[in-house]
Order: sequence, then C-alpha cells, then structure tokens
Amino acid sequence: MAGPLSHAPDRSIVIAAGLRAPQAKAGGQYAKETSPHLGAAVARELLLRTGVDPSEIDAVICGCVGQPFDAANVGRVIALRAGIGRDVPAHTTARNCASGMQAVTEAITQISAGVADLHLCVGVEVMSSYPLIMGEKLTQMFASIFQSKTLGGRLAAIAKFRPSFLAPVVAITEGLTDPTCDYIMGKTAEQIARDFGISRAESDEYACQSHVRARDARERGRFDRELMPHMPLGAREGARSLTADDGIRDQQTVEALAKMRPYFEKPDGIVTIGNSCGITDGATALLICTEEKAEELGLTPLARVLSYSWAGCDPRRMGLGPVFASAAALKEADCRLSDVGVVELNEAFASQVLACERAFSSKEFAKEHLGVGRAVGTLDLDRTNKNGGAIAIGHPVGATGARLLLTAAHELEESDEELALATLCIGGGQGGAVVLERMST
Amino acid sequence: MIDVDLTGLPLPADAPEAGACVELERPEAGLVILRLVPPHRSLAVLDLPLMRDLAVAIDELSREEGLKGLVITGREPGSFAAGADIDGIERVTDEETVGRTVRLGQAVFEGLHALSTRRKGRVRTIAAVGGPVPGGAFELSLSCSYIVAADLPSTKIGLPETQLGILPAWGGCTRLPRRVGVPASLAGILAGKLLPAKAAYKKGWIDRVTPAERLIEVASSLAMGRLKAKRRARGFVGAWLVDRNPIAASILERGAIKQVEARAKGHYPAPIEAAKVVAWSCLRSRAKSLEAEAVAASKLAVGSVCKSLVGVFQLMEAAKKLSKGPDGEAPAPLERGAVLGAGVMGGAIASLMAEKGVETRLFDIAPEGIDAAVILHRKELAKKKKRRRLERHAHDAAVDRLTSSTELIGFDRVELVVEAVAEVLEVKHDVLGKLAERCAADTILATNTSSLSVDDIAAPLPNPERVVGMHFFNPVRKMPLVEIVRGSKTSDEVVRETAALALRMGKTPVVVKDVAGFLVNRLLGPYLDEAIRLYTAGVSPERLDRLAEQFGMPMGPIRLLDEVGLDIAGHAALSLHAAYGDRMAPCTAIRPLLEAGHLGKKTGSGFYEHSGGKSAATAPQLNPKLSALAPQTSTEGAELADSVIVDHLTFAMLAEGLRALGEGVTQTPDELDLATVFGMGFAPFRGGLLRWADTLGASEVQRRLESLRASKLVQARGAGAARFDTPELLEQYAAEGRKFRP
Repeated sequence: MAGPLSHAPDRSIVIAAGLRAPQAKAGGQYAKETSPHLGAAVARELLLRTGVDPSEIDAVICGCVGQPFDAANVGRVIALRAGIGRDVPAHTTARNCASGMQAVTEAITQISAGVADLHLCVGVEVMSSYPLIMGEKLTQMFASIFQSKTLGGRLAAIAKFRPSFLAPVVAITEGLTDPTCDYIMGKTAEQIARDFGISRAESDEYACQSHVRARDARERGRFDRELMPHMPLGAREGARSLTADDGIRDQQTVEALAKMRPYFEKPDGIVTIGNSCGITDGATALLICTEEKAEELGLTPLARVLSYSWAGCDPRRMGLGPVFASAAALKEADCRLSDVGVVELNEAFASQVLACERAFSSKEFAKEHLGVGRAVGTLDLDRTNKNGGAIAIGHPVGATGARLLLTAAHELEESDEELALATLCIGGGQGGAVVLERMST
Repeated sequence: MIDVDLTGLPLPADAPEAGACVELERPEAGLVILRLVPPHRSLAVLDLPLMRDLAVAIDELSREEGLKGLVITGREPGSFAAGADIDGIERVTDEETVGRTVRLGQAVFEGLHALSTRRKGRVRTIAAVGGPVPGGAFELSLSCSYIVAADLPSTKIGLPETQLGILPAWGGCTRLPRRVGVPASLAGILAGKLLPAKAAYKKGWIDRVTPAERLIEVASSLAMGRLKAKRRARGFVGAWLVDRNPIAASILERGAIKQVEARAKGHYPAPIEAAKVVAWSCLRSRAKSLEAEAVAASKLAVGSVCKSLVGVFQLMEAAKKLSKGPDGEAPAPLERGAVLGAGVMGGAIASLMAEKGVETRLFDIAPEGIDAAVILHRKELAKKKKRRRLERHAHDAAVDRLTSSTELIGFDRVELVVEAVAEVLEVKHDVLGKLAERCAADTILATNTSSLSVDDIAAPLPNPERVVGMHFFNPVRKMPLVEIVRGSKTSDEVVRETAALALRMGKTPVVVKDVAGFLVNRLLGPYLDEAIRLYTAGVSPERLDRLAEQFGMPMGPIRLLDEVGLDIAGHAALSLHAAYGDRMAPCTAIRPLLEAGHLGKKTGSGFYEHSGGKSAATAPQLNPKLSALAPQTSTEGAELADSVIVDHLTFAMLAEGLRALGEGVTQTPDELDLATVFGMGFAPFRGGLLRWADTLGASEVQRRLESLRASKLVQARGAGAARFDTPELLEQYAAEGRKFRP
C-alpha cells in the first residue's frame, strides 16, 4: 500500500533507526539526571550502534517541554554533548506532550521539502530536574531590596518578609495546568470520562492491563531492541545501570487500584494516580531520513512515514486530541482505522484512552466535530498499546512522542502488520498522529 | 655598567653574534619594546649569549634620555622564554663557574630592577609574558615593575628550580617574598609547581591577565601610564609582623624544612637550602639575600643530585619526542578509541582516555565490570571538578565521552583499541579477532598484556603491523610510565601513534622490545625475589623496606609485594622463570602465605597487616600469621651488614638491567634509565639505574657482583644464584672502562 505524503510525493521518508533510555519515575533513579546528559547519551549511543558518521547529519531537532535553565536550546547542548560536529545546526521544539513527535514531523517536513536528507530527532524530558520557583511575594521583596538605593530602604524591604513567602511554586504542577481554562490535566480526563460515561472500574481495569502487558513485554525481551542500558548520573558505588523501565508494577491488581482515592476531583472523581500515567524521565532518539539515504548509510529502516497530522480541539477535552489528528492523518494516508494493525495511543489517563475509543466509533462525534457523516472507525483495543503504555512505563512529556513512533515502528514487524498509527493527546487541546508503513512492501 | 665578563664561561656551540638575541622596537616616543629573539633557539632560553645581549640593551636604555616605558616580551604572546639553560647547568662542574653565571644573571636583573626604582628618570618596566614562564623567565619578570600575562591555556608560571635540585637564584628567592610574602613564597618555591595564568594572578605572582591578542597593546599602555599599573601591596601586618619578623622567619624556616624532610628522606638538599634563603630574605637587604641565593645555588648545582634530576628532566623531554616522525610532526590526535575489558586496568585506561579527549568505548561481556568502571570514571572526574582541575563543561564532556557495550557493537569507527582482557592467549585472539573484523584494517590493536608476547598475540590477526603493546602499570592514574612494546612486525607509525596517546594521557612512554616481562617487570622480578630470599634467610621485612627506602626507592620491596599482590607477583615470577631460566627461579617459601589467602593489601594482609586504615600505611604491622605460614629458615640474614643487603637487592636488578641493555631491550641506555625512574620509582636523585652504576664504575660493579655470587648466602641457595653471574656486557665495559650512560 503506497500512501502518498502529500508534501513529498517523490521522497520516501523513513525511520531509519531508533533507541531509547529506560524510563524512570521522576525523583527516583534519575533524581540527579539532566536532560543534556540523558539526551546526549541516547543520541551518541544510537550513532555508535548504527555506525553513522555524525557529520552525515544535516540537523538535530530536539523535543523538550521543560528546558533546563542552565541549558537554553537544550537540543544544541545535546547535539554537541553527543559528539556531533559544531557545524551541524540544532534546535529545540515544543508542543507540550507531543514535543518528541513534533521534532520528527519537523524533520519529515524539511526532508520532504528537499532541504535535508538526514535528521537526528531526540525527545527528552527530565522532570526530576523541574525546579521549585520562588513565589511572587518573595521575588518582589528581592526586587525592592535590589532597587532601593539606601540602607534604610533595603531594611524596610527586608522587614516586609513573612515566612509564608518561602512557600515555593512547584513548576511541574503549574506546567500541567492549562492556563486558558485552569484545568489541571487530570481534570480534563475527568471531564471526558463524564462526557462518555467512563466508569472507575473500566479505567482501573484498563490501567491494570497496561501494567500486565508492559510486564509481559519486558519479560519476553520485547523492549531489548529499543532500549539501551543507562547508568544514571549520581549513581553511587556498587549501583547497576538501569536496563528496564522502572514504572511497571509487576504485581498490579484491579483490587489494589480500586482502593486508591481520586486525586483531581475529590471525592467522586474517577481519575486516580493509579489509572494515570506517572511523572517520568526518559529520552528517545530517532534517525529520520530518505529511503535512499538509509541505503547509502547501510541502514535497514524500521518503517516508512505515510502521513502525519496535527489538530486542535477543546482544551478542557484535550484527551480527545488523538481522534481529531488520527482522522486527518488516516485520511491523508488514504486508509481506514480498520486497516491499521498497530496502534500506539498514548495513555495519559485510562479514562482518556477509553473516551478516545468511544469517540472513534461514534457517529455523532464524527458529525459534530469532524463534519463527516461516518464514524472514524473502531479502535481495536487488542491491537492498541500491545506492550502497555504510559500508565506503566511513564510519560516523559518531551520524549513520549518519539517513543510512540519507535515502539510502533518495531511493532509492525513484531506483530507482522502492514500499517501503524502513533497518536497522542496534547495539553492545551491538540492531537498529533503519524501513520507508518512496514518496509517490506 | 652591568658587568658581563663572559671569558672562560661555556658558551653554547651555536651562539650567535653579539646583539642578535634581543630586538628593540620604538613604536612611539618614550616607549621601547624589547623582544627576546635568540636566532639559535625557537623558544628563548636565558643562556649566556642572551644574557649578554640583555645586559648591553639594559645598559644602553638606562642612559637613554626621555625613556618612559619599557616592555619586555617574547617573539609571540604565547612564547616568552623557557628559563635558564638546563643543558648548561648539566655541563658545569665547578662551583666557581656556577657562581659567576648566577651572579651575572643577578647583575643583569638588578640593572633592570634599577630602571624602575632609581630616583631620576624612572622607567615603567612591564614584563609581557605568556606560554611557559618557568624559573629564570619568571625571575626576569619579577625584576620588572609590573607583570602582565597572556590568557592562554599554555601560560604556566612558576619557580620549578627545586624540582631540578637547585633553587631560584636569579632573584626568585628574594623578589617573590617581597611581592607576596614569605609564607606564600615558601609554599610556591618548595612545591615548584607551575600555575596557570588565572591562578598565578590570584596568588599575586603576576599583576594582570589579558587576552593574548591585546598583550602588547595593554603592556604598552601600562608602560606609558595610559593604564594604571597599580600593584597590590603586601599589607602592613604581613610585611612587618611576618616577613620581617625574625621569630616568624625562624618558625617558618623550621616548619618548611621539617615538611621537606618528611617527604625527601634526606635525599634532596635543594628545597631545604631554598627554605633557608626564602625564610630570611625579607630580613636581609636585597644584595645580601641575592648573595645567599648565589652561594646556595653554586653548591647545589655541582652536586650529584642536581645533575641526576636535570638528567631525568632531559630524559622526559626526550620521551616527548617519541610521537614525532622523521619529519618532526606528531600524528593527528586520536578521536575515537576503545578499551576491551572493564577490569581494574581496563576501566581506568578507558576513563583516562575519555578524560583526555578521546571518544572511548568500553567493552566487556560482564555488565557489572562496565558499571563499576563508569561509576569510577565519574567519581574521578567529580573529584577533579571539585578541585577545579576541570571546568564544568570539560567535566561534562569527559563524562559523555565514555560509552560502553556488552557486545562488540559500535566499534566500527574506532582508530585505536587497548585490549585489557584476561591474560589468556586464546581469549585475546578471540576478542581482538572479532574486533578486527568490525573495524578498519589500520585500526591500531594495542595490548595491555604484561605476561604474553606481543608477537604471539599478533600472529593470527590480520595486518599484524598494527599490533603493539601498550603496557600500563597499576594503578593506571598514578603510575607515570607506559611501556610501548614493539613487536617484530609493529610499524614505526603505530609506535608513534601509541606513544602519542600515552603522552596525551599524561604518561611518559618508553619503547621496549617484545621480551618476557618487557623491561620494568623483568627488572623488578629478581629484585623482589631477592627480597623474599633475604627474608627467608632471616632479614626482617621492616629492615628490608627501610634499607631500600634509604637507598631511594619510593617503597620497600616487601611493601611493594603487598601492594601489587603476592598472587600477581608470583604469576609474573613464574613467567619470567619460564622465559629466562634459573636466574629468575622464584623462591617457593612464601607459597603457604598465598595459599592461605594472604595476598597483600587487597585481602587485608600479606607480609603486613593492612586493615588499620591509613595510619597502618605509615607504621605497618607484620602479619601475625607470617612466621607460622612462611617461617624464616635461617638467622644468618640478621647478621648481614646493611650495605650487603642493599647490594643484594640493587645488584639483582642491575645485573638484569645490564643484560637487557646488552640485548637492546631499549634502544638507548637513557631510555632504560627513564623506565627505571618512572616505572619502578628508582631513586630519581640517582638519575636512574645505569647512571647510578656509572657512579660506581663498571669494574666496581663487576667486583661487587662477583663477591655477591661467591657469598655463602648465594652459594647455599639451590636456584636463583645465577642472577649474580657477570653479564657479558659488563666484562667488556669493565675492561674498557666505559660508562653505561656516556
């Protein structure tokens, strides 16, 4: 099936290779990690394993949501620290939870426009290093201390200090709240759970299944082909490098999940920490290039890119973004959801995945929001997130978009399928989707 | 007039005509830029021709009307002067000549000093320096009123004279204390370290650091008063209560001497003499202090310690040229390297390579080994960052450069690999063979083997001319020597590349032939075994160690055995025995000690107990089980004179050294000595094994060897007596009265 990528009718663009670091719960194993180190480690290892001479790279694009204060344009820092030459340009891109996918679609656009042949794309997020920020009052106090020219003025400013000034602003909480509607992400999941009548029990069951699938995938070595071992910064003597995602709970049961309290809407909400993705650190690197370039480099590509799409939706219902984006991307690739054998749909929240499933198959939803008379199609949950998803292995926001593509590309061969869809919802009310095709065709 | 009578002083053979070494430029009225441009040297050296020209120039300038400012500088901002003429120091043998040379330099610098301090027609004198500014070059700068240095990585400033067995005698011991005070000067002069520009500025050794491109412009502006040349003055308390206080001086002097003696064990007189001069310098007039410098320097410079240390310095400088080809060019620096085997050695080699800028990939089938190596790498780098030896970005980059794999994936683009896997030929063939399939045909395959032959390792590998030995010593970060082992097929280019890497890693390379034990272990073998035999013959371990340390070894042989590990030493001894026969026959008496698991420091006990932390290292206790497990079989040894015991140890090593010299294990006797100093710490003040033998003379060496060979103790032993046989080469040298190191 040769779907057209309308931007590049004559260029076949492929995911030539990819690699990721194990994803670890924030504040844990990666407590002392930094995005430059983690991102560079993955990028460097990918180049070493593929044997690609870094000077072949036309540009580096890095997706990252929370750039470190001490590494502005973290993509450039990562490129240089990965040993890529100074003459190779690099930039950082952000589209919230889809930043890693944004990096890839930017590469696709540039390659299809003929301005580049080979991009290194990195998605990285070290949420462990998100700072606590000084509150507004403390900041103002310091400002008046620095501004006043007399000792008296300074003392007066200091005298205004109250212990409550010391309460910090938690960057991560602020970052996960949509400022246009004041909904924290969990609340958007509650919203669509109500819209589609998703129950607590369904959500918990879905979450439990994510852990079971991820555990099984890990046990049978499914992740070996996409994972590299990583020794975190700050590891003490005798420590071992991390070789697997550490968010997977091997003994997860529905019963245990049922005991957890709703976190975002107390007391009657259905979204708990247990049926949401965890705050996680991770990095994924991908080589995106033309098919000819891959051949020239001696690489066997993982998948061909057929289409991609970005779409906007209601910020309060940002979790439905995948439905909007997938509908468009599938249309562009000239295929139907039922043709797609592999789906990676990011598990921001269990209720959000389930709401997407309902929306995909809803004629009313299609009519109201997509302006078509027919439902997008049936999302087969057996073919979706077969190796578990973010609920188990976590959601390092800047990295996930790239991770979904890597997992989906490998899964084509693993499941012996022809088409894959990688899609995710984006805080702020957007969705992104990429359709991939297996290489052998 | 500055007195510059050169009659009778040894001028270098290529000395240029008078006046050629300095160049005066007058870019504007009242300003002179004096450049040191000796045509016979690429980097100026303050040798006699240059000092003569400098004296004449200063003399003329002192009479010049309207002179406001003088800038003294080198050819380039990064090339000032290399200090005094080291080769000249090595050649002089009489105190009078040294004294005259020292006083001549002092007079020239006094003349310069007077320009900026005289009552009438005072001239602002600015030293505009950069690159290496050691010893005499710094003393010249100190004689100016202001020092400005180029902010270059190559800029290194200090007074390293005590490291060469002399002391700063061109005013360094006099002017530095007046500038920064006595305590700081004592520390600086006795340590003899060179400081980077910023550090020298922080300590007040220099007054300003400026970009290299602006050096001359800034110095000129300072000289002409357009920029204010204000020096930080030593405060009243420091100047009067410390520097000029006789009580403080005597306390400082005693403290410094005590510290030096603890380290030098009486072998190194220079720091002590320097301490005596520096401590009292501010209490003396400048003239008297300079005279004290001259007297001390004259005595030290003709002494054997100074000659030996200068000799070692020259050997080191020569070793730096090993990486250079016939065209004088060193190979392009290596970008990508690899290490196979993440054991203690492999891990440390990889870490050091990565730190020094090589992208390094570490392979081991055991992930535990890799993990430990990566953690250790980061620990070493963090230590350096904390001590400000590494800036943050350099630290981060060094962390990033070490990657690892448990499979041979990602090694395709490697340019040089150091193999440090198990010492089993088949294992080495297997891993190097697999690697060779993956990387380029000219990728250098270096082996860190200590007991296998490089030729045997190279035999089945494709392109054996790229196989070379790169023998590091344990602990890798501390031991300064690397033996570059040239196999019979190894190409010159591969030897150069490998030497270049060793140099980059901060090591001193010595090229040796592919013989069992190479050089260092081959010489250590009989020395250590002799120590064990003396122990079984009734000499106490403490006595053996004490005597060896008094001779000048950094650590006695028994402590060294514990440090290395009795198993490792035993293994090495066996392979030496297999290769060289009877003269290397190891003493079997301590085998029960090994079998009971007392392997030395790593197991907590060997000959000594090592459980007591750091204090145990200074006053080691004997292992209480020693006498039961490896009893002394005689008391005869206790009766031996100290000198006989020392002869046993040192001549066992020397005889083997002479055999190695005869076989041409190193290309020159100089390199053999370098290897003994850096590889086994052979007393640097003796200049190396052969240089020490030369002080005895070949016939005396032969006589003592014969007497050892004939001694009852050696006659009585079943095996190992042959090590005292007279080497062929020795007979010849003794007959001809030749020196081992001419």
